[in-house]
Amino acid sequence: MNDFKPLDPLLHSQLRLAVMSLLLSVESAEFTFIREKTQSTAGNLSVQLDKLSTAGYILVEKSFKGKKPLTTCKITKAGIEAFEKYVNALKGYIE
Amino acid sequence: MEHQLSEKESLSIISEMISQAKRNYQKGGGFQFLLWGWAVMLANLGHYYLQVFTDYSYPYVVWSIMIPAGIVSMVYSFRSNNDQVKSHMDRLYGHIWISAGVGMFVALAFMKELAFNHNAIILLLAAIATYISGQLLKFKPLIFGALALLIGTVVCFFVPVYQQTLVAGVSIFLGYIIPGYQLKKFENE
Repeated sequence: MNDFKPLDPLLHSQLRLAVMSLLLSVESAEFTFIREKTQSTAGNLSVQLDKLSTAGYILVEKSFKGKKPLTTCKITKAGIEAFEKYVNALKGYIE
Repeated sequence: MEHQLSEKESLSIISEMISQAKRNYQKGGGFQFLLWGWAVMLANLGHYYLQVFTDYSYPYVVWSIMIPAGIVSMVYSFRSNNDQVKSHMDRLYGHIWISAGVGMFVALAFMKELAFNHNAIILLLAAIATYISGQLLKFKPLIFGALALLIGTVVCFFVPVYQQTLVAGVSIFLGYIIPGYQLKKFENE
């Protein structure tokens, strides 16, 4: 019998997992880029980014591009570790 | 409410997002190669022409075109920093050229100690940075360009200092300008 490790509930959600996978592959990305690639709504994405940021999985920086507000996201070391754990746990379910 | 994800769905989200991110490759490299290629080639050939074919006492004055070139290059890279996403490769790519630039600056600062063979050292640093860029972008013309710059380096050591500007001009044409145009074409496709 395989040892089923619990899946991190913060990552085991469609949009949050998509955001984390995307940020894992790049240095940093703007809100609009993430929204476009994950095909999500601004409202929902905002909420999910807040959750990931509160958990310390991502770093959200707010600044301005001219007069427009600009949100840039970056995965943290804790985020990478959590993602690795999640993928390892996932492997347990599939093998 | 979101539905409960299955393990397979999780995996497909991960691989889909990773491939989405991969589609972003370094842009604007072609512009920089062309900008510096033309500036450095014209300065080298201008220096050679003034030194060999005229009595002008300050042939090195042509190098002052490096100042506007530097400003244009900085403004351009600052603007392209505004891209919506920055890949790991963008970061590495930028740092390769920063380190090559610092190396070139050191070679220029100590040109007297180098017995004015600084052109050879600069071509060598350019060859290394161009080679790594070519490998990063998996773009063969840059790799051949790097080879041309390396050959230019070796040739420099075999000719008198006043002819090195001619060698450098030709090497930059082969190493920066030709691959630069090919890169620009590739970026626009």
